[in-house]
Amino acid sequence: MLANFKISLFFICNLCLLVLANSSEQFDEELSIKSLQDGKVASKFSFKTLLKGASPKDPRTLGTDDESQHYTLFPLGLGQILREYGVTELHLTLNAGNWNYGRWGYPEEKGVGPGAELWVWMGDGAPNSIDHRWKGLRNALAGLFCASLGSLDEQCTTSPVRSFSPEGVLPDWDLPHQIRHASLPSEHVCTENLTPFLKLLPCKSLSGIASLLNPHRLFDADWHGMGIHVLWRGKEGIEVRLTFQSIMDPSRSSSKQKQDWSLQSLFDRAIDRTCPIAHSSLISVSLPSSGAHSITPEPSRVDSGSAIFDVATVPKPFNAAMNWPSDFEYQYDTSLTPLKIQRTLKGSSQARGQLSLVIANHGQVSQQVVYLETMPWLVQFYLHTLKTSVNGAESDAVISNITYIPAIPHSRPTTFEAVLLLPARSTTRLTMDVTKAFLRYTEHPPDAQRGWDLPPAVFTPIHGGQSQNATAGLPSERIYTPALLVDLATPDFSMPYNVIIFSCSLMAFLFGSIFNLLTRRFVVVHVGSGKQE
Amino acid sequence: MTLMSSSKTPSPPASTLNFSVVLSALVAARVALTLTGLPDVLRDDHQLASPLTSFSQLQEGIYLFNHGVDPYSGGTFRHSPLFLTLFATILPNSPRICSLLWTLCDGLGAWALVQIWRARQNVTSSERDGLIAAVYLFNPYIFLPTLALSTSSLENTLMLILLMFAARGKASPALLGLAFLVHFSLSSIVLLSPILLLLNTDQFSHLASPRPLATSIRKVVPLLGEFVVYFCLLALSSTLVSGGFAWIPQTWGATLMLPDLTPNPGLWWYFFTEIFDHFRPFFLMVFTVHLLIYIVPVCIKFQHDALYATFILLGIVGAFKAYPTLSDPGLFLSMISLFPEIYPYLRHPIVTSLLHLHAFLLLPLFHHLWLNQGTGNANFFYASTLVFACANGAAIIDCLWAGLRIAIGKPVEGYSIVQE
Repeated sequence: MLANFKISLFFICNLCLLVLANSSEQFDEELSIKSLQDGKVASKFSFKTLLKGASPKDPRTLGTDDESQHYTLFPLGLGQILREYGVTELHLTLNAGNWNYGRWGYPEEKGVGPGAELWVWMGDGAPNSIDHRWKGLRNALAGLFCASLGSLDEQCTTSPVRSFSPEGVLPDWDLPHQIRHASLPSEHVCTENLTPFLKLLPCKSLSGIASLLNPHRLFDADWHGMGIHVLWRGKEGIEVRLTFQSIMDPSRSSSKQKQDWSLQSLFDRAIDRTCPIAHSSLISVSLPSSGAHSITPEPSRVDSGSAIFDVATVPKPFNAAMNWPSDFEYQYDTSLTPLKIQRTLKGSSQARGQLSLVIANHGQVSQQVVYLETMPWLVQFYLHTLKTSVNGAESDAVISNITYIPAIPHSRPTTFEAVLLLPARSTTRLTMDVTKAFLRYTEHPPDAQRGWDLPPAVFTPIHGGQSQNATAGLPSERIYTPALLVDLATPDFSMPYNVIIFSCSLMAFLFGSIFNLLTRRFVVVHVGSGKQE
Repeated sequence: MTLMSSSKTPSPPASTLNFSVVLSALVAARVALTLTGLPDVLRDDHQLASPLTSFSQLQEGIYLFNHGVDPYSGGTFRHSPLFLTLFATILPNSPRICSLLWTLCDGLGAWALVQIWRARQNVTSSERDGLIAAVYLFNPYIFLPTLALSTSSLENTLMLILLMFAARGKASPALLGLAFLVHFSLSSIVLLSPILLLLNTDQFSHLASPRPLATSIRKVVPLLGEFVVYFCLLALSSTLVSGGFAWIPQTWGATLMLPDLTPNPGLWWYFFTEIFDHFRPFFLMVFTVHLLIYIVPVCIKFQHDALYATFILLGIVGAFKAYPTLSDPGLFLSMISLFPEIYPYLRHPIVTSLLHLHAFLLLPLFHHLWLNQGTGNANFFYASTLVFACANGAAIIDCLWAGLRIAIGKPVEGYSIVQE
């Protein structure tokens, strides 16, 4: 009797909790699809969970026992990590390929740097140092996402405040907040990263928009990348946004030169079921501004140039499609972004080289950008050789506000942050000599001759007073350059023993010869007469 | 090569050379050389400038210093804070003017070398002066690092000047110079005891008539104290200038820990590139102690001629120090011209000269093949550094042999001279 009562009480409590939780958590999913001017199709999945009224963990309370965490929609695995290390804001992206800004425009999610990139904002004042928590965090995330984020160690960690300002709100704790940023361009993104990603979603990939996340198609795309963003929206609560962006090429699978696509052709799946707990579940398709095209089925509504389907109400199975009556014609020479950036490492020598940056500003207005280099210690800058020129004429006014933190071998990368002023319709060049490090033989990777990937440079346009009335073509964006590959001199890996033996023998021989002379006296010996006779 | 040219010309040279004419003509020729494009090509050559002496690193440090970044907060600037302040304030740091300054320093070094010779011979001028200056100024091991603006050239000049003061018996300037030298390059501490010995004895040649040390060893103590005071003052001013102790691990620490494995003509870099990580501290200790182990026996054996002991230990430092450049063995080779009395007793002068020629040609060639051309690997350059070490070792052994053998005198018919 008593047991029965206890069990029913337990169930009632659970039910109450569930109801409470449901009202305090909200899940929204969205897929946006856009045909690009080069015939490719950009798609972006976005799964947003809002933990209403919650606030990030105060780092001062990190040492004490945490309150128990009950979530229904919010991913528990991620929530535990966030509270364990007192993270206020977190951004993790895992991308493959280089985003082509000229042809595809600015991405909807800014973080498109090649490989893995992780940056977090954390409050100071915890019993453990920020660096200690940062180390724990990246190892925990490495476990959660099956990625080699553990290699995002001190050797690639920087604190670039200007380029990575918080996207949400930082709590007002009277504590300094610090950023930690690291990127690993050689990280490969694949299906083993998508599986844990899907597990964080309330409906997994069983229903709703997430059912379109088909790894066979996603990882076959020209460009693909996933992102995990956690930020605090002030009073609204903590938001976790899981995103997946891809650039697919519909003409690759069709026999004709057409840019027609459907959900079935892009993802090889249709939506069979609605995710029942999603607060909203929308698919928005940007409609081309000109030309004949048709979209099926009839969208729920059309809003500012986008057709929007509400997945909850559309008939199932749902398969949106877009068709063009005519063949696709490629358009040349129309850059979608005003800035075109080329970054190269010149020089054939394995001892030194030259970092060269060419930035073309096609825009009608001059533009200020924050230029960030986070270079591992393998490549060291000679800042005194920094030369800048605009349209071929040397000009020192281009670069200002330099923040420079030199590298420390085996521990810290270089941080170089500066503001560049790019005049309208101009080409700015920037060159700097660099030296390449010589490593111990145990520090080389197994494929040493392949070279080392260097992280991308990041450009962040600044919008001052003058660009308020300027074109809308310069949103507050971040531009990543492609990663670089540096060729370092290698020792011979097969003969450490030989080198030890040769060097030691030579030193022993010279030591022995010198001591032989120093310790034995010269004497005169009579050998004379007997020999002559 | 130097060895060959100097060994070919025994003590009374055939032609009389006016020293001042020779010196100014040679310095003028060297200045003309700096006006060619050669310095820019050589600037970052690994054989001429090590990470501790490279001019590019110095300029980078000055740039950071002038822009409010502590150069020692990074891991690559390894010059002394004294160099930093000197070039950031008083001296110019444009490469053109510095080339001139470096060449003039070399001229000063040649002059000091001649002064040492004169002091040793106890003459006011001699016919050999011009030759000695030429051997210093035209030694490729000396003038190539100068063209590359390696600060090791300045260290050489400092070494010669302090040795000149020591040979003249002026203790304080010599000890101050030595304190500067050790401050700039920690390995030079090896030279402390022979120079203290030199200050307590005379500078004349006693190689042919060895005798036990006449003076008491106790006289060394105040001199040693003076050196320590100078040295501490320099360290203190460096600390004040750089605003902290961060410069110590960056400069002196580099000599002991070898953090930068950039190739150089010495023996350390490839050994510590290839060594197993768990043996690294042990072998760093062994290599450092190896450098110190020669001090006592050389000083005991040549207690009758401290200048010769200094000379031998210079050769040992040049061959075995952590970050050598060509100018370190170059100084030793040029100093052979101070001791013409040993030439008849050199053991294998031809072999040594050929080894040096061999190494001098192979080093730049294999370095280029490995790092620029990509057709050779690291072992090529490593092998040529081994040849270079053999050549340096052979030169030291030659000079040691000759310096000891000279005491026995000319071989007599029917008698043989052997080691006990």
